[in-house]
Amino acid sequence: MDEEPERAKRWEGGYERTWEVLKEDESGSLKASVEDILFQAKRKRYMSEGHGQVRLGMMRHLFVIIDSSRSMEDQDLRPNRLTSTLKLMEFFVEEYFDQNPISQIGIITTKNKRAEKLTDLAGNPKKHLAALKKAVDSTCVGEPSLYNSLNVAITGLVLTIYTLHMPAHTSKEILVIFSSLTTCDPANIYELIKTLNALKIRVSVIGLSAEVRVCTILTRETGGSYNVILDESHFKELLMLHVKPPPASSSSECSLIRMGFPQHVIASMSDQDAKPSFSMSHLDSTGEPGLTLGGYYCPQCRAKYTELPVECKVCGLTLVSAPHLARSFHHLFPLEAFQETPLEEYEGERFCEACQGELKDKSVFTCLACKKVFCVECDLFIHDTLHCCPGCMQTDRTS
Amino acid sequence: MIPKLCYFLKLLVFIILNNLILKLKLNIDGLLVYFPYDYIYPEQYSYMLELKRTLDAKGHGVLEMPSGTGKTISLLSLIVAYQKAYPLEVTKLVYCSRTVPEIEKVVEELRKLMDYYTKQTEAKNDFLALALSSRKNLCIHPEVSALRFGKEVDGKCHSLTASYIRAQHHSNPSQPVCQFYEEFDAVGRQVPIPPGIYNLDDLKDFGRRKGWCPYFLARYAILHANIVVYSYHYLLDPKIADLVSKELAKKSVVVFDEAHNIDNVCIDSMSVNITRRTLDRCQTNVETLQNTISRIKETDAAKLREEYSRLVEGLKEANVARETDMYLSNPVLPDEILQEAVPGSIRTAEHFVGFMKRFLEYLKARLRIHHVVQESAPQFLKDIYEKVCIDRKPLRFCAERLRSLLRTLEIADIADFSAITLISHFATLVSTYSKGFTIIIEPFEDRTPTIANPVLHFSCMDPSIAIKPVFGRFQSVIITSGTLSPLDIYPRILDFRPVTVASFTMTLARTCLCPLIVGRGNDQVAMTSKFETREDFAVIRNYGNLLLEMSAIVPDGIVAFFTSYIYMENIVASWYEQGILENIQRNKLIFIETQDAAETSMALEKYQEACENGRGAILLSVARGKVSEGIDFVHHYGRAVIMFGVPYVYTQSRILKARLEYLRDQFQIRENDFLTFDAMRHAAQCVGRAIRGKTDYGLMIFADKRYARADKRGKLPRWIQEHLTDGSLNLTIDETVQLGKHFLRQMAQPFRQEDQLGLSLLTLEQLQSEDMLQKIAQIAQQA
Repeated sequence: MDEEPERAKRWEGGYERTWEVLKEDESGSLKASVEDILFQAKRKRYMSEGHGQVRLGMMRHLFVIIDSSRSMEDQDLRPNRLTSTLKLMEFFVEEYFDQNPISQIGIITTKNKRAEKLTDLAGNPKKHLAALKKAVDSTCVGEPSLYNSLNVAITGLVLTIYTLHMPAHTSKEILVIFSSLTTCDPANIYELIKTLNALKIRVSVIGLSAEVRVCTILTRETGGSYNVILDESHFKELLMLHVKPPPASSSSECSLIRMGFPQHVIASMSDQDAKPSFSMSHLDSTGEPGLTLGGYYCPQCRAKYTELPVECKVCGLTLVSAPHLARSFHHLFPLEAFQETPLEEYEGERFCEACQGELKDKSVFTCLACKKVFCVECDLFIHDTLHCCPGCMQTDRTS
Repeated sequence: MIPKLCYFLKLLVFIILNNLILKLKLNIDGLLVYFPYDYIYPEQYSYMLELKRTLDAKGHGVLEMPSGTGKTISLLSLIVAYQKAYPLEVTKLVYCSRTVPEIEKVVEELRKLMDYYTKQTEAKNDFLALALSSRKNLCIHPEVSALRFGKEVDGKCHSLTASYIRAQHHSNPSQPVCQFYEEFDAVGRQVPIPPGIYNLDDLKDFGRRKGWCPYFLARYAILHANIVVYSYHYLLDPKIADLVSKELAKKSVVVFDEAHNIDNVCIDSMSVNITRRTLDRCQTNVETLQNTISRIKETDAAKLREEYSRLVEGLKEANVARETDMYLSNPVLPDEILQEAVPGSIRTAEHFVGFMKRFLEYLKARLRIHHVVQESAPQFLKDIYEKVCIDRKPLRFCAERLRSLLRTLEIADIADFSAITLISHFATLVSTYSKGFTIIIEPFEDRTPTIANPVLHFSCMDPSIAIKPVFGRFQSVIITSGTLSPLDIYPRILDFRPVTVASFTMTLARTCLCPLIVGRGNDQVAMTSKFETREDFAVIRNYGNLLLEMSAIVPDGIVAFFTSYIYMENIVASWYEQGILENIQRNKLIFIETQDAAETSMALEKYQEACENGRGAILLSVARGKVSEGIDFVHHYGRAVIMFGVPYVYTQSRILKARLEYLRDQFQIRENDFLTFDAMRHAAQCVGRAIRGKTDYGLMIFADKRYARADKRGKLPRWIQEHLTDGSLNLTIDETVQLGKHFLRQMAQPFRQEDQLGLSLLTLEQLQSEDMLQKIAQIAQQA
């Protein structure tokens, strides 16, 4: 009934009770308690990682399923759910490859009871970003189909892993961004959940509207997480949770993987021996200009690639550069959680070591190693982004 | 190896000990109460305190506590503790529930409690607790239990176990009897059933093992059992109570759970409806009786003479028993007639049959009318005296006399004689009570004035008649439910004086219920099911839009209640024409409750499947229907309940009008007050279907502007009222959608048990802290 594009006018939309967010909390426990729980969860995120050496699945294969059904036109995210989601996804894809350099991602959309593969599993962010940009203009119609899209994702994951002879311990994941409250399935989805379970595929769901039972079951059975967004910033936060590699399932055995570290060979035009050549990755993508001079050469078969990380098309060797590996290193040895003390009990100079701002929040955070003090925001920033304590860095250098 | 094993064992012992310590032992006002869970809700503690006070005072209580907060276990653990501490003060707990599944649930809770007791005290359990249900649920006879209807099972059972059948069996072994009953009768009465907890299946197993009839075993065992769990009817329906519960000890505690409808149960158990079909069947009954009598007269005249002399003696035995406080009194068998002999005019069998014939003819004549007649019992008696010279006195003995006759004539299949039994009950009641009953004869139904279908309603208007013996006999009667508001009305209509009247709220770590009153559509047209506007096009459209908008934002299941079947049919038809249904179906599937029970249970099953599979569904049902009373919509089965309109009872019914008049004259309850009370308790029942515990959550939408008025709002249970802020009173559909969306997102955030701890879930240490005890004191509100 509200499908007409005319309805998109601001003044025709629903009321937004924006003042509710700012509501002073004198009576209700609702606002305060939920926010408190959320804050605790935020802290817990890295607190839990700090305990013990959890084995993490570093080689990830992730399919993201984006709901593009009618409900994505809802305007509770700006300018609508679809645009907002796609924008955040772009950010997510960049972050994902930044933090998981030896992983792959693929994108699936579902609408009108069908599922459509936007991009295949691949390790190159450019292709995904281009596909996401293009998807903004698509229309949202009909109902989504959870069953069909999961099915497409399963086939994609299984095929890739078999054809590339991946070791068994690579983590297989599906992330569903689910806006609709209904799904139109051709068969019983609980059978599919059993299959997912057998294949050890972890499914996580981010709901855009409310908690749907089938998603709760789906995530619980497959060991994923299920969250529902509160607003746009919360959405981003939830999405970023999936940037971190998940703990590896305990049953997967340890095995060594062969990796190649190709040197970047720079050939200058002046060099007479150098001939422009095609990169192997151009075999299937014809879009970009082909001939280049230098590149990375596979140490095993001498195939040439222009970008890393990549799977060698010829010999199947994983090619990475040393900095890539180093970047995923911090997941294995995360920075230990800072100690939280209430502000009243803290004695000492009241400014944050990192941002030099005054400490005003109700609690302060102390690094256990260097005993430097930080505010909440910096604490989160250090643990989420920097992964190393600036205080400790300083003392390391001076000593 | 051995040290390792030792260590392991130590660890094991430690774990077991730890488990034991975790469960709670509470000190409730000086009474040691074992509580078989690790944590306790504050309101449970408060509930137990109030309950203890009621038992101490040996009085009756009315307690309201929301569903899902562990009423049953609180009741059981406190009363069992009380029984153990003061075995002479309280000898028995009689727990009445409504349905068989509910009975089973109670027994399971009890089992948990008893396991905990044995683990703690390490003494052998000496408690006997059992559930009792009808023969249909307990029979293990291979042929009888295969029958499908309760009546058939009862009849068949009777034809195998009646005393004269068994006497015949002695002389003629080919006469079939039930071997399970024979075995029980021979051995079972001497050997007490070993202590323990028996649900229906346990009883059957036990019966099979021993070869005893579980039904009669249970009926016999309730006399010395410590705890009995059974249905309301075993206490309230005079016909059954007389058989089953007559000899229950006076020092019992009686609990009526889910008792918000108890007045209607009482009234139903005392009312009689007589149609032309009943009379026809009664006619055949009388003829059978007559034939049997003449046959017996030829063969065995002595038997009839013997009966005659017994009747001259009167019902002295029963009288003696009641005076010495052995029996629960029966409202169908009033005290006066016990002191007298059966009057001469109906003492011989032929005279009695002749008497019944006359009475029957009179009733037939009364049903042959063309206009509605309403009269009181004395008027009826006067009329019957004038027309067919039937006196009041013999009428009063009718039920007793018939019973004696059926016994004497050795008629096996009692089920066939239900019609004449009904008539005889009617005769006794009409001549015994001059107040509290009314007789309404309607020649046709209101809806079909052209089809003659005369009915004589002999309707009880005073629920206190049926429940009076219960209040009179037992020292403590507890009436409890999730929705008993306003609390003061129950003592008034049931005519008793409670010592405690309290309502408890739900302590919550997060506000998991969201009651909203929607009064207007987006076009500002008021939404109401008021009679004058219910056909209004705009109102129906707004109701449709509300459902459509909600179907887009609420996940999984929505349950919508209408005020009546006709209203639902009209609205759904009109939505179909307006295309609203089609739009809703894009979001969710639609299922409809109908008056057919099989169809409804099918719809319900499919509804749950759709919720489970993520398709989402809407169930359209009717307040006061099957769905609104007995079915729980936990978690995703009901994320929102929409109550379309205020569910007033059909006010044009003559029976209701008579009852309202009676309430006004006798109890000074204004008609409007009672109607609103009745409507609001049903509305509360409906919306309460969605919240079945503290981890559950749901929207409660009252779609009628009249709910915003103080007189309606004030009659909602306290635990709903608390969350009804001024901001959620007269909303438009748009505002409702915004609030609903916000609420559902908040509730979808992860919620663990730790978040509840200390707020709405307490450990023993937390419970003992000073300020928590103060907080608990505020939970109970004395009405």
